[in-house]
Amino acid sequence: MALLEIEGLSIGYGTRNGLLRAVEDVSFTLEAGGSLGLVGESGCGKTTLGMALMGLLPPNGKIMAGKILFEGQDLKESTEEQWRKIRWRKISMIFQAAMNALNPVHRVGDQIAEAISTHRPEMPEREIMERVAELYRLVGIPVERIKDYPHQYSGGMRQRAIIAMALACNPRLIIADEPTTALDVIVQDQILKEIKKLQEKLGLSIIFISHDISIVAEVCEDIGVMYAGQLVEWGPKEAVFENPVHPYTKALLASYPTLMGERERLRPIPGEPPNLVSPPPGCRFCDRCPSAGKSCKSQAPVWAQVGPRHKALCNACS
Amino acid sequence: MELRRYIIRRLIQIAIIFYVILTVLFLLFRLAPGDPVSRMVDPTMTPEDAQRLISQLGLDQPIWVQYLYYVKNFFTGNFGHSFHYGKPVVEIIWDRLPNTVLLFTTSIILSALVGVFLGKIASWHKGKATDAVLTIGALVTHTVFLPWLALIMIWLFGYKMGWFPITGMISEEVWLDPESGIFAKALDVAHHMVLPLSTLFLIHFGAYLLIMRSSMLETLKEDYIITARAKGLSEKVIRDKHAAPNAALPVVTSVGLSLAFSINGGALTETVFTWPGIGRELVFSVSHNDYPLAQASFLLIAIVVLLANLVVDVLYAYLDPRIRY
Repeated sequence: MALLEIEGLSIGYGTRNGLLRAVEDVSFTLEAGGSLGLVGESGCGKTTLGMALMGLLPPNGKIMAGKILFEGQDLKESTEEQWRKIRWRKISMIFQAAMNALNPVHRVGDQIAEAISTHRPEMPEREIMERVAELYRLVGIPVERIKDYPHQYSGGMRQRAIIAMALACNPRLIIADEPTTALDVIVQDQILKEIKKLQEKLGLSIIFISHDISIVAEVCEDIGVMYAGQLVEWGPKEAVFENPVHPYTKALLASYPTLMGERERLRPIPGEPPNLVSPPPGCRFCDRCPSAGKSCKSQAPVWAQVGPRHKALCNACS
Repeated sequence: MELRRYIIRRLIQIAIIFYVILTVLFLLFRLAPGDPVSRMVDPTMTPEDAQRLISQLGLDQPIWVQYLYYVKNFFTGNFGHSFHYGKPVVEIIWDRLPNTVLLFTTSIILSALVGVFLGKIASWHKGKATDAVLTIGALVTHTVFLPWLALIMIWLFGYKMGWFPITGMISEEVWLDPESGIFAKALDVAHHMVLPLSTLFLIHFGAYLLIMRSSMLETLKEDYIITARAKGLSEKVIRDKHAAPNAALPVVTSVGLSLAFSINGGALTETVFTWPGIGRELVFSVSHNDYPLAQASFLLIAIVVLLANLVVDVLYAYLDPRIRY
């Protein structure tokens, strides 16, 4: 049994202009110990998907259809009380340090300790602090910084502390939402290596959300490409990189520079994603797609099975 | 350390500002209409007596000599005698100040505590009936005209119901009775305090409620609230431990400044309830040309406001670890 199985998940936001379909009919699986990178531009639904996995959709957000099977149990049916036990203990999250993810008025060590004591109220104070120190060593922050406040940390240290916090309760799944955005490239690289090392060492499963496909490629085994609320291509990293099928994936790969390859002109993708309140009936990418056929605009795309674990949501490329 | 150096720097600034206030006040009193001598000089006095009085007050000296005397007197703690009471000004102020501090400090702390508590609840139930009732209630009580409310309170609870005394701070029969102990006396003061205190409370708690409510709503949008929720913390812990301490910071400023201004701002309340405090004394001294008393009261207000600002800043540094001076 896969650790996480998402089946036909659709999420909508109630807005003044009507229902915004932020995520539509997304399905994928993640094995225990596996890692999936979700890539896509801003507004493609990747963060909404991550929040739904934590049961943290904003009040106007709602799961319209589908299942989130985690360890075989549908999380969609969970009550708030059950969610509170799943959060952090089973599924935790690495937030972006550039955001105010740490509370400025509490000491960093205390904020990590709080996560532990909430889920293990029986654990004595001293043991909790030992665990926090152990986590500090694990992510490479000097232990004597436990008593510091978030603003006393550098950006990289804050990100490490957030990672330590995510690991605090030994979760089975970690959702990392843009964990390296807004860090400089050297620190970004250190953090990515750290995440990868920890994932292997602790046997974690990770969903890594990023707008940057090159970052995702560094950490994840599988890649899922999202566009306008839909998953449009999913498969092992190698397959997606070497044999991208969906025109959006191809365009995405062409829009990033490579250090080693030939010097090429970067090709931005012209146009913009459709309005998700009233999405077009056919393929959502066809207006920007260089290889769109006649039927693409009117006919909803179906999944094309490219390899045993590689699929793309496209009618033109099968 | 850093904080100590900051405080020293601020104290120097305060000293300079205070010196400016001292000078401006001197000039204001010379410019003010009305002649202090005319109040002192009796028509039956002989011209020689009048002249002696004028020179006793130093008013026959050139203005810069008067100024030097004024500054010297301030630094030697000599504020002169009240024209009206004939007693040293310092004595009068020391007599009235504790009464004002007792009434206003209690009312501000009480209304801040209740305001913060209710503001937190209102923000938590934003848009629901609880929020509407609290917010509208706060707006109504906060915008009511204070003397009107005071009179209504006196009329209803003092006169109609007869539950509380209408004027003053103590009952003579209790305080003159050698039998009554400290507890009976305290109870008597508390009994007199109920009406002015509840009037001030009703006027002020709404402001704190509204500040706290909007500050909480801002704080609840912060990313660390999402983190707290993701950690599986209960809503109560998120509200009280993660949102409220951050949201309460603007309230601290407001409380600090209210405390400072309550020294003079209480004139209306003290007058309506005939509370023997400094605010009433200030109004009285100004309207009766009691220059020494008015001058000393103004200086007291200046010192308190300046120091309260410093205390608020230091308190901020204590509450918000990001602020270090």
